[in-house]
Amino acid sequence: MKRAGRGIACMWYPIGFTVAANPSSAVVKVNEDGTATVLTGTVEVGQGSLTVLGQIAAQELGVSADDVHVVSADTDVTPMDTGAIASRTTFVTGNAVRLAAAEAKATLFEVASEMLGVEPEELEAVDHRIRAKTFPEKQVALAEVAARAQIVRGRPPLGSASFNPPTVPMDPETGQGKPFATYVYATQVAEVEVDDETGEVEVLRICAAHDSGTTINPALVEGQVEGGIAMGIGMALEEEILFDADGRQVNPNLTNYLIPTSLDMPKIEVDLVQSYDPVGPFGAKGVGEPTLVPTMPAIINAIHDAVGVRITDLPATAEKILMAIKEKERAEVRQLGPA
Amino acid sequence: MSRKITDEKKAEGQKLLAAAPVTHPPAVVPDSLPSVPALTPEVNKQTPAVGQRVARPDIRTHVTGTTRYIDDLSFPGMLHCKILRSAHAHARIISIDLSEAGNMPGVVATLTGDEVPVNSFGSTYKDQPVLAADRVRYRGDGVVAIAAETEQQALEALAGVKVEYEPLPAVFDPLEAMGPESPKIHRNNNVYTSKVIARGDVDRGFEESDHIFERRYTTQMIEHVPLEPFAAIALFEPDGQLHLYSTNGRITLGRADLARTLNVPMNRIRLTATIIGGNFGGKNEIRTEPILALLAKKTGRPVKAVYTREEEFIASTTRHPLVMDYKTGVAKDGRLLARAVHLVLDGGAYASWSETTVGKAAILAAGPYRIPNVRVEGHAVYTNKTVTGAMRGFGAPQVAFAYESQMDEIASSLGMDPLEIRMLNGFDEGSASHTGQTLQAVALKETLLMAAKRSGWQEVGR
Amino acid sequence: MRGDGVHEIELTVNGVVRRAQVSPETTLLAALRDSWGLTGSKLGCDVGDCGACTVLVDGLSINSCLLLAVQANGRDVVTIEGLGGFEYLHPLQAAFERLSSYQCGFCAPGMIISAKALLDENPAPTELQIREALSGNLCRCTGYTKVIDAITEVCRDHAGAVGVEQSV
Repeated sequence: MKRAGRGIACMWYPIGFTVAANPSSAVVKVNEDGTATVLTGTVEVGQGSLTVLGQIAAQELGVSADDVHVVSADTDVTPMDTGAIASRTTFVTGNAVRLAAAEAKATLFEVASEMLGVEPEELEAVDHRIRAKTFPEKQVALAEVAARAQIVRGRPPLGSASFNPPTVPMDPETGQGKPFATYVYATQVAEVEVDDETGEVEVLRICAAHDSGTTINPALVEGQVEGGIAMGIGMALEEEILFDADGRQVNPNLTNYLIPTSLDMPKIEVDLVQSYDPVGPFGAKGVGEPTLVPTMPAIINAIHDAVGVRITDLPATAEKILMAIKEKERAEVRQLGPA
Repeated sequence: MSRKITDEKKAEGQKLLAAAPVTHPPAVVPDSLPSVPALTPEVNKQTPAVGQRVARPDIRTHVTGTTRYIDDLSFPGMLHCKILRSAHAHARIISIDLSEAGNMPGVVATLTGDEVPVNSFGSTYKDQPVLAADRVRYRGDGVVAIAAETEQQALEALAGVKVEYEPLPAVFDPLEAMGPESPKIHRNNNVYTSKVIARGDVDRGFEESDHIFERRYTTQMIEHVPLEPFAAIALFEPDGQLHLYSTNGRITLGRADLARTLNVPMNRIRLTATIIGGNFGGKNEIRTEPILALLAKKTGRPVKAVYTREEEFIASTTRHPLVMDYKTGVAKDGRLLARAVHLVLDGGAYASWSETTVGKAAILAAGPYRIPNVRVEGHAVYTNKTVTGAMRGFGAPQVAFAYESQMDEIASSLGMDPLEIRMLNGFDEGSASHTGQTLQAVALKETLLMAAKRSGWQEVGR
Repeated sequence: MRGDGVHEIELTVNGVVRRAQVSPETTLLAALRDSWGLTGSKLGCDVGDCGACTVLVDGLSINSCLLLAVQANGRDVVTIEGLGGFEYLHPLQAAFERLSSYQCGFCAPGMIISAKALLDENPAPTELQIREALSGNLCRCTGYTKVIDAITEVCRDHAGAVGVEQSV
């Protein structure tokens, strides 16, 4: 018989390397037509980092995402980057990009200042224009400023910068210190159905609420949450590398190491909780890894809610669940005493 | 179901092709749906850029199959490299005989560990060989690399390699490996990295508690399973610059590792990636790059190696299995007063990213909860199994499984709602973490309430 | 290239007649990628577990790593390259772009072929039928969610356009 259950789990996860320096650097060039090119040493791994970095540069320069082209992943051409790891790209590389864009923008402001007769500190870049903050009618097209900067004034708008998250070393005896600049938080609620005759679990629905600071691109964050949940389901229920007595992997293939398919996925509802981290670019933090962290305990807690067994050894395969159910039934019978 | 292609059909096909305008795809695919012009999402043009659902520029190439991954690249004269891996979990290498393999059809060059200028690398400790020269410590250790005209020829040549091993006693269980009697894999102690987090006084905290909960939780070894297997190509540019194309996710570090293992200045090495077909932590170290560079140097030709799916499992890194002992002291109103955690990480045959994993696991182990007395001890232990390294979460998923499972056990025992006990104990803005850090931008409770609301948690009257 | 046992094959790929000389163990996938430079179909496992190599052969979606090139002789093959290019996209491709359905993109070509095969046979599938059609294509990045959303959208739009009663 199928029994329904629901479980909740929350988590925290840090952004960046543990104490150690993990800088990123970037170069931003504003071209003569007001479009921009970003150089970054990070490597796109599928999460959409290049898109996000482009959006950060665009935001800083007051242009749109289409106006920014991001070049990456070449040690001869792009400046150093510690790597797309530890969910640090939006936060660390993003800050490097933002700072580099700000430096290029400073050149634009100096040239615009001459054109408008307004001090550079009084200017802002918004919607493809450079204008006076407190008197927006005094404005000039950013493209015009960029052209003038390079062609007339001989000062191409170019910026380069690096960023490293601020941390405090940890005491070797007690671990006290500030290992990370910031953390993200998340909660997932899982609804499952457990067949108490076979031990099989179907995950029906997961409600995921994730904090990633300011959300730079909601579609990409959702993608990370959905993908992370898939990994979490695999880890909770079916994935395991098995070894024989001689240290040989028994199932080094996708026939016998099972990852979730399209048929294994539940309905996923994602809520992006907004918070603002003063250190992150425009308040953003990160999201790459946290997405699978609450999934396993949410499912395990839901299984307990459904059939009253607690699996403490992952993965919670059907065999384990069934054995635990049977053991629980036997224990209940024992408690009732001999007939 | 098969249709023979007649001359008539062939001619028809040629006519269609000739007639079709250049900008349209050949209209020969019978389809229930008509083609549409490619769209440029308007949202990409809007300002401000932050907060927009900007369409990724690479999605166009993904859906048309034109994204270039490393395995899609090839160069004139390119050779293919295959690697022979250890036949034992733990053994000394006595001799390697390449006389037969070296003469097999299509074989152009071979490589062994003693030909690597600096035969060691690793993200924390440089304890892993590029190619094992005197000792193998797990079955994924590469021993011989062969470059041949085709992949098939390289594979067949591996069968001609004769390696003489002296098997050594092996240990596979990390708890066993911690013991003094266990076979030693690197140094005299298989425990190679430890971390302690201590705050307050856990013993006093347990004394003050109304209830104590103790449980062991364990998690399994997991593989990243990126759809794209690891691939790399090495070639020398005409000006002598060594150029590596690789699915490596950390090219700055990768270049440093190459410079070190090859004993070449960094500015003479160019490492480029395109887009990685899934990483999740498994492509954050060098794998075949130094081998390919040396083979490219020997042969004067580009050399490519692509991992098979089996190699992705046995010869790349995996997620650390953890044995986690949690003891938590709780007041009768549900407040957590003390938590002691002991973590043992199966550290595999080489260190890789274990130090980071132990550190993160230890820092996060007590959970996002205000607990005045905490003690966490974490250890990574060598075993003669697949190298455990970076994988999405670095220990966080494992400890979260433990602390959130125990949270529900506590709630159940005290007759409290699982949401309620988390709201009672969770971090707030400005709370101190277990390492004494003042936390800012804390959104934990917002996520709890949001997920609860979305799922209708409170409505089910728990 | 080995001198012995080399076979000449001829088949239609994306409407174009293609020829190659292949050794007997060459898979259709290897012929597509290495002989004709059609690298859109991907090598993920080479044993038919992951679906990254999915193509249409005589209208059926199959794992091209499981078909020998010589077995494909005389057949009609459609790969991802046959669906659309930069200027014109198949509606599925356009929908995937609009919804940012793919992340690393490695599974995309195979999955899109499977989706197309489904819609060619059944223009109004249920969500379960969509999931079943994709179940042979593994994806590690996306959780399949936005892919299914996009396919659902295409079915809805197309049903609306031609007045077909739709079940999703």
